Amino acid sequence: MREALSELFEVFSLSYRAFDRAEAFLAAFAPGRFDCLVTDLHLPGISGLELQQRLKALGATIPVIVITSSLDPNHHIRAMQEGAFAYLTKPFNDKVLINHVTAALDQAKPAHKPDDGAGS
Amino acid sequence: MAENSPSLDYRAGVASGGEAGNRAAGDEKYRKLIFFMPTALWQVDSRAAGEVFGRLKADGLTDIATYLDQHPELVEIAKDTVLVTEVNREAVALFHGPTPADLIRPVRYLFAGTPDMAKRVMVAHFEGWRNYTEEAKILTFDGQLRDVIFSVTYPTPPEQQDTTFITITDITERLRTEAQLRQLQADFAHAARISTLGEVATSIAHEVKQPLAAIVTNGETALHWLDRHDVNVAKVRQLTTRIVASAYHASDIIQRIRLMAVRAEPERVVLDLKSVTAEALAFVRHDIESKHITLSIDIPQTLPEIAGDRVQLQQVIVNLLLNSIQAINQAESPERHIRIGIEAGPSMLAVSIRDSGPGIAPDDFERLFESFFSTKKSGMGIGLTICRSIVTAHGGTITAANGPAGGAQFRFTLPIAGR
Repeated sequence: MREALSELFEVFSLSYRAFDRAEAFLAAFAPGRFDCLVTDLHLPGISGLELQQRLKALGATIPVIVITSSLDPNHHIRAMQEGAFAYLTKPFNDKVLINHVTAALDQAKPAHKPDDGAGS
Repeated sequence: MAENSPSLDYRAGVASGGEAGNRAAGDEKYRKLIFFMPTALWQVDSRAAGEVFGRLKADGLTDIATYLDQHPELVEIAKDTVLVTEVNREAVALFHGPTPADLIRPVRYLFAGTPDMAKRVMVAHFEGWRNYTEEAKILTFDGQLRDVIFSVTYPTPPEQQDTTFITITDITERLRTEAQLRQLQADFAHAARISTLGEVATSIAHEVKQPLAAIVTNGETALHWLDRHDVNVAKVRQLTTRIVASAYHASDIIQRIRLMAVRAEPERVVLDLKSVTAEALAFVRHDIESKHITLSIDIPQTLPEIAGDRVQLQQVIVNLLLNSIQAINQAESPERHIRIGIEAGPSMLAVSIRDSGPGIAPDDFERLFESFFSTKKSGMGIGLTICRSIVTAHGGTITAANGPAGGAQFRFTLPIAGR
C-alpha cells in the first residue's frame, strides 16, 4: 500500500517521503518539514492513533489523513477526536484522497510547494 | 517302526494302541473345542501346493513372487487343489453356511473377495514363514463382502504338511465404527473451524483488504499515467504487474478461507510445517498487531516434513494463538508477547506457543482439554478439545504447562514423515 501511494503521489507530481513505520516518521519529523501526513491506523509498531497523539504532544499542527481497512466506528471517532484532517476506509477513491491532500496542503502552506509524508 | 524288533513291537503295539485310543479321545475333545471356538477356523490340506513348491525348490527357484506373476495359472490350480478338510461353527456362520459340508471343498471360495491374496499366501508358504496375516475382504455365499483379518499358520517340516490353519476375523463392524468416529471427529473439527472463522472475521477482512486497496490505488495511478500526454509505459507496466501480484495474493487468502470453511475429508499429505504455520498466522496477524502484541517466531530454516491435513493443523495453530491473544488481552497483561517455535527431534517435530498472559491456574490443568471447559468469557470450550483430537489423530501429543517466567505454554508434537 505504501508503494501504491508513493506511485499515486508521483503521478500527481507531489513530493513525498515514505516511511515503513510511525517511529521512522517521528525520527525524521521536524516542525515545518512536512505539510501533510497520510497514515494507516494499523502500523507495525506504534499505531496511527498513537502517532496522532505524539504529534499533538509535540505541538505539531501538521494535518493528518488517516487511511484504514477498519470498519470499527470507534476507530473513526477516536481518529477524529485526535484531530484527523480526514478519515478514509480502504479501498478508497484516489481522487478523494488527492482532494484531501490538496486541501490539507492549501491549509498548511497556501503559497508553498508542499511536502507530505506517507506512512504504510 | 521297530520292524526288526518284534518283542518291542508288541509292547509298542500295546502301548501305541493305548496311546492311539487316548489320542483319538483327545482329538475328539480337541475337535469339539475347536468346533465351538468363537474364532472362525479352517483346517487346510496344502500338500498339493507343498509338492509343487518342493519341485520348484529342487530346480533352484528362489524368487517365488516373480515366478507366480509369470505363472498365474499355478495360483489358480492351487485354489482348486488345496483343500479345506475341516471347519468350525464360526466359519460356517461367517460364510453364511448353511452347513460345515458346504465349506469342505477347495480353498477358492476363501479368496473370492480378494483374489490376489492367494498369491501372497503362497509366497509366504514357499518362503517358510510361520504366519501370514492380511487385512482383506471375503465374499460370503450369499454375496456379501465383509472386511476381515485373514491369518494363515503354516506347518513347518517335520510337522504334518496337511495341517495349515486359517483363521478369519470379521472386522466389518469395527471398521464401520472407526469410520463413523473419524467422520464425527471431522464434523466436530469443521464446526469448530466455522466458529473460529467467526472469531477471526475482522482479521480476515483486514487481510483481504490490503491487496484490494493496493489494486485500486495502483490501477487508478496507472490510469493517471495513461491520461498524461507523456505516457510512461514502464510505469504502467510496473503498476500493472503489481496489480496482478496483489490480485493473486487476494485470491490466495480467499482460497485459504474457503478451505477452512468447507467440510472436507481429512487428508494425509506431506507438509512443510513452516508454511502451515505461516498460513495460520495470516488468520490472526491483524488481531495480534491491533492488540499491540509482539510476536516472535523461532523456526529453523530447514525442517523435516510431516504428514497430515493442512487445514486441520492450521486450525490447531490458529486456536492456540487465539487462546494466547485472548489470555493476554483478558488479563490486560503489561507485557504482551507471543512466541511460536518449532524444534525438530529424532522422530517428531514439536511446535510450542508461549504467551506472556496470566498462565494456567493449577486447578484448571486437569480439565483443560475437556469439552465445554472454558476460562474465557465467550469461550465455548471446544478449542483445546479439537486441538487434542486433531493432534492425536496425527499421531502426536499435546501438553500444557506454565512457562518458567509465567504465561501459558502449549506444545504439540507431530511425527516426521516416513520415520
